[in-house]
Amino acid sequence: MSSSHDTHASHAAAPTHEKKHLALTLHVWRQRAATSEGKFVTYKLDDVSPDMSFLEMLDVLNERLIANGEEPIAFDHDCREGICGACSLTINGQPHGFERETTTCQIHMRRFEDGQTIYIEPFRANAFPVVKDLVVDRGAFDRIIAAGGFITARAGSAPDANALPIAGDVAESAMDAAACIGCGACVASCKNASAMLFVSAKVSHLALLPQGQAERSRRVLAMVEQMDKEGFGNCTNESECEAACPKGISVANIARLNREYLRALACGD
Amino acid sequence: MVRRIASLWSSSIGKKALMSVTGLLLIGFLVLHLVGNLQLFADDGGKSFDAYAAKLKSFGPLLYVAEFGLGALFLAHLALGLRVTFENRAARAQRYALERDRGARSFASATMVVTGVIVLIFLVIHLLDFRLREMAPDGLAAMVVRRLSEPAGALIYVVGVAALGVHLSHAFRSAFQTLGLSGKGWDTPLARLGKAIAIVLGVGFAMFPLVFFSGAKKASHQASLEPARPIHAASDVTTEAIR
Amino acid sequence: MSSPTTVEASSKLASKCPSGPLAERWSKHRFELKLVNPANRRKFHVLVVGTGLAGASAASSLAELGYSVSAFCIQDSPRRAHSIAAQGGINAAKNYQNDGDSVHRLFYDTIKGGDFRARESNVHRLAEVSVNIIDQCVALGVPFAREYGGLLANRSFGGAQVSRTFYARGQTGQQLLLGAYSGLMRQVGEGQVKLYPRHEMLDLVVIDGVARGIVCRDLTTGEIKSYAGDAVLLCTGGYGNVFYLSTNAKACNVTAAWRAHKRGALFANACYTQIHPTCIPVSGSHQSKLTLMSESLRNDGRVWVPKAKGDTRSPEQIPEDERDYYLERKYPSFGNLSPRDISSRAAKQVCDEGRGVGASKMSVFLDFRAAIERDGVDEIRSRYGNLFQMYERITGEDPYRVPMRIYPAVHYTMGGLWVDYNLESTVPGLFVLGEANFSDHGANRLGASALMQGLADGYFVIPYTIAAHLAGRKLGKISTSHDEFKRVEQGVRERIERLKNAKGKRSPDSFHRELGLLMWDKCGMARNADGLREALVKIRELRDAYWQDVKIPGDAAELNNVLEHAGRVADFFELAELMCMDALHRNESCGGHFREEYQTPDGEAKRDDANFCYAGAWEYAPESPSGKVGWSMHKEPLVFENVKLAERSYK
Repeated sequence: MSSSHDTHASHAAAPTHEKKHLALTLHVWRQRAATSEGKFVTYKLDDVSPDMSFLEMLDVLNERLIANGEEPIAFDHDCREGICGACSLTINGQPHGFERETTTCQIHMRRFEDGQTIYIEPFRANAFPVVKDLVVDRGAFDRIIAAGGFITARAGSAPDANALPIAGDVAESAMDAAACIGCGACVASCKNASAMLFVSAKVSHLALLPQGQAERSRRVLAMVEQMDKEGFGNCTNESECEAACPKGISVANIARLNREYLRALACGD
Repeated sequence: MVRRIASLWSSSIGKKALMSVTGLLLIGFLVLHLVGNLQLFADDGGKSFDAYAAKLKSFGPLLYVAEFGLGALFLAHLALGLRVTFENRAARAQRYALERDRGARSFASATMVVTGVIVLIFLVIHLLDFRLREMAPDGLAAMVVRRLSEPAGALIYVVGVAALGVHLSHAFRSAFQTLGLSGKGWDTPLARLGKAIAIVLGVGFAMFPLVFFSGAKKASHQASLEPARPIHAASDVTTEAIR
Repeated sequence: MSSPTTVEASSKLASKCPSGPLAERWSKHRFELKLVNPANRRKFHVLVVGTGLAGASAASSLAELGYSVSAFCIQDSPRRAHSIAAQGGINAAKNYQNDGDSVHRLFYDTIKGGDFRARESNVHRLAEVSVNIIDQCVALGVPFAREYGGLLANRSFGGAQVSRTFYARGQTGQQLLLGAYSGLMRQVGEGQVKLYPRHEMLDLVVIDGVARGIVCRDLTTGEIKSYAGDAVLLCTGGYGNVFYLSTNAKACNVTAAWRAHKRGALFANACYTQIHPTCIPVSGSHQSKLTLMSESLRNDGRVWVPKAKGDTRSPEQIPEDERDYYLERKYPSFGNLSPRDISSRAAKQVCDEGRGVGASKMSVFLDFRAAIERDGVDEIRSRYGNLFQMYERITGEDPYRVPMRIYPAVHYTMGGLWVDYNLESTVPGLFVLGEANFSDHGANRLGASALMQGLADGYFVIPYTIAAHLAGRKLGKISTSHDEFKRVEQGVRERIERLKNAKGKRSPDSFHRELGLLMWDKCGMARNADGLREALVKIRELRDAYWQDVKIPGDAAELNNVLEHAGRVADFFELAELMCMDALHRNESCGGHFREEYQTPDGEAKRDDANFCYAGAWEYAPESPSGKVGWSMHKEPLVFENVKLAERSYK
């Protein structure tokens, strides 16, 4: 089979013709580096296939920029199936766009209207400095985990996995919290740039499990201390984070985090 | 241990927990205040209310201690609130060009700072009106009724307590969340209780200016028909009108 | 010895597999391995490249032992490594279900599933430590699914008749990675591991024949920097992205492994590629990656295409007797649940016959109508609700009303850098773990075994075997000021310059797509000698064109996604050539390698145990000083003393 670089004849198909292509105006945040001034740059696309994902739409734009000798737009992405947490983007003022429980990489262009204007900004928070264009540094999350988001269990020292039964519903609640992908949309959507939902998900996950009890107090104190050092804002219980979370992590975890923290202050070792 | 107590003041959760506790205690005070004020509606020309005020006065230094405590609670709540607000503003130096929430925020939650500041201003006026001013010879009840019968007074008090009600409609549930006392089946009952408390306190306090103001209007209407009375009897007129 | 092969062993490939009874080999080997005194461990510095299951578990367990560790990853956080995307589960021979599982059964299933192209000793060790992995993960707080009573739940998976798969909803990989990552971050917090996110290894530094360091590009600043150590661990995953379209994450690449290969590490079984049968088909030329739909869908979905070629009617208009339920027809006993490789090839066959469906004609139906009629919409929704929702989100079609369309996609690569029983490559001091090595899955990997291997290597193999190198060899002190580091750094800089200076017209992505398509057509689900020869010519042409015509805007001294990609594509070209050579040389069909010339009369894979029962490891050997690519082959015969080689049959 012959191959030319713009038509994937065998494992790619011509886009379905009956679907109307979209014309879009994009206002994209461009910023050369952390210390540079950023600004919006406007791009027009007039043949966006409704079958494209949002990131594929940006891929197409980038290919065009490269062809014109311009620098493509930098953005984070990796798995493109909604699990790695790498993709970010604030789309028309909403982190990960308007769809509920959806990461940016899972948004498809058929959900947009022909002629629509789209603002694309990075996740904004002082604790997430811009690296370039739409790429931000979420290393603060790693440092919070390093401070205490773990159970100390040396390889080789573990008892049999069934030695400690954990009731099905407890395991399920822990899993609900553990589903956090660490994307940072909670911070980006919070008007205070608070990281409480992220921290609470990890604290809840580990505090719910019997294995996590030994370090329970130390963990929550250390993680909150690190969170505060990173310059996140304070929680004002508006629940925008829960609404923006692509994994639907509940603010009930924040209540648990508060409880754990106050408990640790009052009677932790 | 010292470090633990210090982190109540310095850590994000500690600060919010203190705000919650001070806020809830202030709500407790407001409930007592409302109950005490209900005596203004007694049909005795303000006697029982004045007696209640005198009783409080009679505690002497104890009253000052209580007032000092109340002031401290309020100032702590205020200071923490301002601090949290400034920190939160600072946590995102570069704002979004386009900001669109997902509808989880409520009007009350989005305006906590605004309603908080209105309540602060209102409180200053309220203290100037009734606490820091010399007692009128015809008693506190008369003073209150006079003040709330003026259009400006009534307006200030209605706006002030309305802001308080809005503030509380988010505050109560939020305080429980911050203290970790929510989750599972408790969220909805707590939210409802919070709204109920906000309505009871808001409407309860608003009744005083509304009733006295409308009563005064009615009274002034009557006054134009009847022979003039001495001014100090205004309170009688009002209670008359209520009847 | 029951080895059927007459293949001569290469002296370069000493497997170091212990002898004796299979079940005692690993403990015997562990006893014989040298140890490093606890007080001396902190003097050894280990460089771990990649932070997926293998890398994170290796880095954390070595740090726990007291070694000083540096960990590198190309993502912004170690938690984003592609292990995170694994859905199904992780196998372990716990026999918690009391259904007859055992270490030996897991060993046997894995050897058979791999079509008898893996080492017995390695696979048995994998099965042995599988039970410790589950214990370790639970201790770390991995929220595996549990029964009401609190005991761990299991499910069954392809290629096995027992329930031995542990899972955490559809996110097992994520939960296992987060467990390993949390252990890694604990060591980072304690200062025992130094973490380098957004760092890409671009070359290996070999001094006096031993791997002593790596050269990286800091992806944020573009700075080229060297890191010296006493051992280098590559935990850098597989190379499925050579096909451009695959279920791999976009950043998955072969560069670190390939650079090590060019520094002397042999690359084995490059042609073994696993194709997953149930992926969402390509929708257009903009397609950037393929999304896997869980195989569990085949429990209730029926796979079919129209009997007639070029039938463009919509599915509901095609009457029952004009449909071909080809899996049920060809494999009556396994039907829609036939193994991955067999289902994938069958789909390709019907599409090649012109009976594919969808606008592209390159997909087949996976129809739930019968299941919905039988069990009701609600029941199907409770089983597959999330998957149906994901499908609808991506395709815009409602699978409750219209049959799903699926097509196979590249999913995993069994080949990789050759390693001995200690996971050490042919470069002393260079260890390779997880998908990046070739060791445990033979020619085909069973479902839920990739996670098992990554964690086995990192938690329970490398902590012991690395001592053989550290205690067994004299390792002088070496710093990055050594001339060899300067030389390698210089080479890395020049290569980047060369790419930047091509100043051509085409983006690296457009070349990558073209290469991917070529590989998919000629070296994908089915290969033949003519096609492979043709591909080899075209790959070389395309590679030459690449270095002339690639265009990379922007600066090398800052974050530059295009430049990163460009370097990876350049390596994919060379790997593609090796894959085709490997596929061309292996005149048999086995597992993920199907040569059309070698099939049974009814179209099944036909192994040639007499001539190909070996691991084929390629040594990089430039043909001329100008650096033209070339390879020579070394063979490690596979000896089967505990299992009988048999034909895989699923009829």
